[in-house]
Amino acid sequence: MATLVQVENLRKDFGNVRALDGVSFRVNAGEWIAIMGPSGSGKTTLINILGGLDTPSTGQAIVDGTDVARLDEAGLTRFRAEKIGFIFQQFHLVPYLTALENVMLAQYFHSTTDEKEAQQSLERVGLGDRIEHLPSRLSGGEQQRVAVARALINQPKLILADEPTGNLDEANEEIVLSLLRELHREGHTILMVTHAATIGRLADRRIEFAHGRLVQAAAASLKPELA
Amino acid sequence: MFWRLVSQLLRGSRGRLAVAIIAIVSGAAVVSALLNLDLGVQNKLTQEFRTLGANIVISPARGVPAQISGAEVPALMPSDGVLQALQQLPSAQVAAAAPYLYIVARSQNIPVVVAGTWLDQAQKLDATWKLEGNWVASREDDSHCLVGRNVARRLHLAPGNAMELHYMDRSVPCGVAGIVDAGDTEDNQVFASLRAVQSLANLPGQIGLAQVSVAGTAQVVASCAAQLAKALPQYQVRPIRQVAEAEGVLLGRIRLLIVSMVLLILILTALCVLATMAALAMERRKDVGLMKSLGGSISRIVGIFLAEVGVLGAAGGLLGAALGAALSYWMGLRVFGTAIAPRWEVFPATVALMLVVTLTGALPLRMLGNVKPAEILRGE
Repeated sequence: MATLVQVENLRKDFGNVRALDGVSFRVNAGEWIAIMGPSGSGKTTLINILGGLDTPSTGQAIVDGTDVARLDEAGLTRFRAEKIGFIFQQFHLVPYLTALENVMLAQYFHSTTDEKEAQQSLERVGLGDRIEHLPSRLSGGEQQRVAVARALINQPKLILADEPTGNLDEANEEIVLSLLRELHREGHTILMVTHAATIGRLADRRIEFAHGRLVQAAAASLKPELA
Repeated sequence: MFWRLVSQLLRGSRGRLAVAIIAIVSGAAVVSALLNLDLGVQNKLTQEFRTLGANIVISPARGVPAQISGAEVPALMPSDGVLQALQQLPSAQVAAAAPYLYIVARSQNIPVVVAGTWLDQAQKLDATWKLEGNWVASREDDSHCLVGRNVARRLHLAPGNAMELHYMDRSVPCGVAGIVDAGDTEDNQVFASLRAVQSLANLPGQIGLAQVSVAGTAQVVASCAAQLAKALPQYQVRPIRQVAEAEGVLLGRIRLLIVSMVLLILILTALCVLATMAALAMERRKDVGLMKSLGGSISRIVGIFLAEVGVLGAAGGLLGAALGAALSYWMGLRVFGTAIAPRWEVFPATVALMLVVTLTGALPLRMLGNVKPAEILRGE
């Protein structure tokens, strides 16, 4: 299977603090990777660099043939629009836009908007009857499903999910996880940050971090039972 | 999607933007009113200055007195040439004109200065005159006269009374149409028809001077005076400079005041918009961080916010311009007694000024270009 993500000796310093310290790994297209580790271990920093939200101090982070470290501001903007779909723990929806408009916003920054396509995307995550609702009128699970629809609308090469179920109750967690499973079955490549071992086991592989270093990479043994 | 976003931004931030829109509408209203006032004030001031009386006087070149029947009278000139020259002036610019022949006659054995003139022009030449009784509507009316209030008091005259004017061995009767209160030397004079006074003094076709009230700026008055001087080289044609210059000076000062106030208001409006936008930029850092993470370039994102500000400026400018037109109408009524009609060119000018002001006030939005999405999404 082709390599979609290649990280080589990646370092990131915030002043005197080293958030990532010589991290290297590869992700094949279609893989679901769980990135685990304690708070402050560098998981989110890695996700931000792979998503073009941040730049590494040294090293390479190649996504779909593009070295993120070499992109300028304009290049990073296009990279984020065309190759990445983000799902955040805090959902991060624009509060004054409806569910439909939040999805269309990603289309707008990518190329052109297609309201019908955005509506279908929301129907797919079970929110066909909530498209005109503002985020304030949606539950946490519903907001996260809007974020999933938004992440998928431009057919990104890589889905980066940072604690996607961290703010959800059990029922909504299961809904979002089943969506991720479905995306994985369809062949999407997913890098998901999580604290929960049970969720981590759903992935094809787990990459564990501690103090900015990759300490363990393992196949998720319980995956068949939970899938 | 662009305008959909702008519309949702406006709706979503209407509380915060209310302050800015109030500032823009208020600023635009005052600016529009002042601009209307500036354009209308020239006409109004000219009208006001016309009430101060004539602004051109035509008189014989030198004050060489004439000898008539042994009595000395001021230098005279034939009225025909003067009246012909007056007719050559553009009729729209001549607000009023009248020839004058002054003599000192007697009534009830008391000497009185009698001015023979066109009585129908008296009110137009000096609108500040107050009258008890009636004006004389026709310059052909030889049987009525207007009496200055001091003369009326001395001779115990009231509107409707009859009086007789004596000069040398001639006399002429006239009915008092009205008593004039001019607050000046005219209060000591009697105003009778030119023809009657010429007949009384036995000076047919002669006048002592002519007064002209020209409607227009100091330049227009000077131009009319030059035209008359060219047509009447044998006479002295003098623009009354105090009136013309005072008008010019006052217009200049009013214009300076208006321009200063417009600038001040524009600066204050810009500062108010600036303060609102600075607060709004802080509030929207999270939205901008998110939009950047979705692949939005800073030019597209700031473009949305600038369009929002532009809509505010244009809408506020239009509304304010309409309010300002009403305000200038009211100010015209209060200050000049007549309304100042709104000028169409003030509307686009006000909207353009408000657009410039709001876009200048939106400078804090440039700070959004420095937003780092990773920091914002981390909650920093």
